[in-house]
Amino acid sequence: MAINDTTDIDDATDVGDGSADGDDADEIESRVGLRYTLKQVRHDTTARIGIYIVGFMTFVAAFAAVDYYLLDYAIAEAVWYNPETDPDRVERLLPPIGMENQFGRGVLEHPLGTDHRGRDLLGRVVYGTRVAMTVGFMATTIGLTGGTLIGAVSGYYGGWIDDVLQRATETVYAIPFLVLVIAFMTAFGRDLRFAMIGVGITAIPVFNRLIRSRVVSIREEDYIEAARAAGVKDRNIILRHVIPNSFAPVLVQATLQVGVSILIVAGLSFLGFGAQPPTPSWGQMLSVSRGYMLPAPTFSVFPGIAILITVIGFNILGDGLQDALDPRINN
Amino acid sequence: MSLLRYTLWRLAQAIPVLIGIVTITFFLANQIPGDPVEIMLGPTPAQEQVEAIRARYGLDRPIHVRYLTYLSGVATGDLGLSIYYDRPVLEMILLRLPVTLLLMLSAFAFAIVTAIPLGVLSAKRRNEPADHVSRIVSLIGVSTPSFWIGLVLIIVFAFHLGWFPARGLILPWADPADVRGAATRLEVIRQSAHHLFLPMISLGTLQMAQITRIERSSMVDSLQGEYVTLARAYGVPESTIVRKHAFQVAQLPVITIIGLGLSTALGGAVLTETVFEIQGMGRLIITAINNQDYELIMGTTLVFGFVYVIGVIITDVTYSYLDPRVTYGDD
Repeated sequence: MAINDTTDIDDATDVGDGSADGDDADEIESRVGLRYTLKQVRHDTTARIGIYIVGFMTFVAAFAAVDYYLLDYAIAEAVWYNPETDPDRVERLLPPIGMENQFGRGVLEHPLGTDHRGRDLLGRVVYGTRVAMTVGFMATTIGLTGGTLIGAVSGYYGGWIDDVLQRATETVYAIPFLVLVIAFMTAFGRDLRFAMIGVGITAIPVFNRLIRSRVVSIREEDYIEAARAAGVKDRNIILRHVIPNSFAPVLVQATLQVGVSILIVAGLSFLGFGAQPPTPSWGQMLSVSRGYMLPAPTFSVFPGIAILITVIGFNILGDGLQDALDPRINN
Repeated sequence: MSLLRYTLWRLAQAIPVLIGIVTITFFLANQIPGDPVEIMLGPTPAQEQVEAIRARYGLDRPIHVRYLTYLSGVATGDLGLSIYYDRPVLEMILLRLPVTLLLMLSAFAFAIVTAIPLGVLSAKRRNEPADHVSRIVSLIGVSTPSFWIGLVLIIVFAFHLGWFPARGLILPWADPADVRGAATRLEVIRQSAHHLFLPMISLGTLQMAQITRIERSSMVDSLQGEYVTLARAYGVPESTIVRKHAFQVAQLPVITIIGLGLSTALGGAVLTETVFEIQGMGRLIITAINNQDYELIMGTTLVFGFVYVIGVIITDVTYSYLDPRVTYGDD
């Protein structure tokens, strides 16, 4: 959502169904291109904040991933604490610095306090970024790939193929997605890989619908007709013309979908599906913190703030992209 | 086609979707590793005992026979026996469903009652401070995990201020004799509202934020309509324009977003029930999964899908009732 003045709608009643005619079409066409979009986004203050947040979180997640997969927390141990192992000197549930609770007083060593096993909370929140971002991106990629394939084939061929594919995705969509992922993970496994796949599957209908509607409208365009007349294979028409022409709105949806996926995965981990202890993950930390809400309320606060900031980043970036893409918006 | 026929047609269309849901949940549940009978009888049960139990729950038959039996059972309202509780699944669900429906309805009521004025205000005062506040509130609302809102509400309003109870839910139609500290129906209702308040906000905030965003953009579009310009030219007061001319038209997209929000809200109910320890459908499915109670997992998932499908039909019918342009699919 752009907070500043970027949503002046030029003439909303004019562009109802997007089928602009004559000269307007060229004008709109040049405004929906990816390069144009990215240029616009850079000029939008709110979208820029989104880019900074997403960029920062991606960087933190990449750093945490390198330290986790390649170095076995060597960096974390060198500069701070290992976020997974229990410390030698256990100070459980310390409050953040400057505060006091029944377990003691906040210390500089643990700026956000400690968890129920005395591990540094800041470290666990930082390393929890890896799980959230990985699942967010991977689930979106799965949903995007699956949805694009189904939507493109469905929209391009129409007929019974369309019917079968659309009824199938509708059915998947008809099970509330958290319930679907829980059932899916119960069947196949409770770990993070299946969280990614499960959340990815729930995103397929979203991209399917988007791509399909784009394809149906593009299918009738002259250049597709021309390509077909020139003997270009269907598969190549879909891959080279139809999908690239739908890229911009998909980018918006994908950005928003990463945020949604992060929220779903946090919910899953909260219920015990997803990253298993001792791996730091925000949802799982919140789940544990429930047991200590009365004596150590701040334990429940920080992982939630981390989720909030990350998802806000993706949401304002997605909204900024959307504004930049919308040909109705006058900058 | 009349509205009634349209409604019946939409209900008929839901049947293949429901069969699809039954199919998906059946095969997912059968994919679950581990043996429910073993969980029930312990690791070293007697052979005859195992066979007797398998026969009782039909687990000795091949999978396609079980599938068809289950499907025909569902058609007649028989969801099977819970393996863990040894009670009919439908009976257990009917005990829990009202709780979840109450939670959902109150959450949507809260969302609609707060979001519509907020969205209208935002659109009326576009790019003024009130608009910025409303947009920031809704941005935070769509970016915050509902269960975390629940945790924070419990910490602040239950533990620190002591204004509301932290757990449980009392049904307003419960027998006063069963409710502690309540002698009359009125007191039961009061206690029920008291218990419902925090879970309602926890579950409703996301919906509130989404409806506010749609209400705003829809009102912005509507206020730029030609009929509004015309009304202004005739000197109709601005407040009447907003209330009468612009408002009604702007509500159609809002109904759509409420329908789409049902899926998220049903998933959110699982989380909210966990946070507030409410014994509804959400807790039932989690318990069923933890006990590997096949029949109960299938039954609860199916009912979740069923509630969603019915909810979508209700929003579709409301939409076509309100929008004179919809022709109920007639050519």
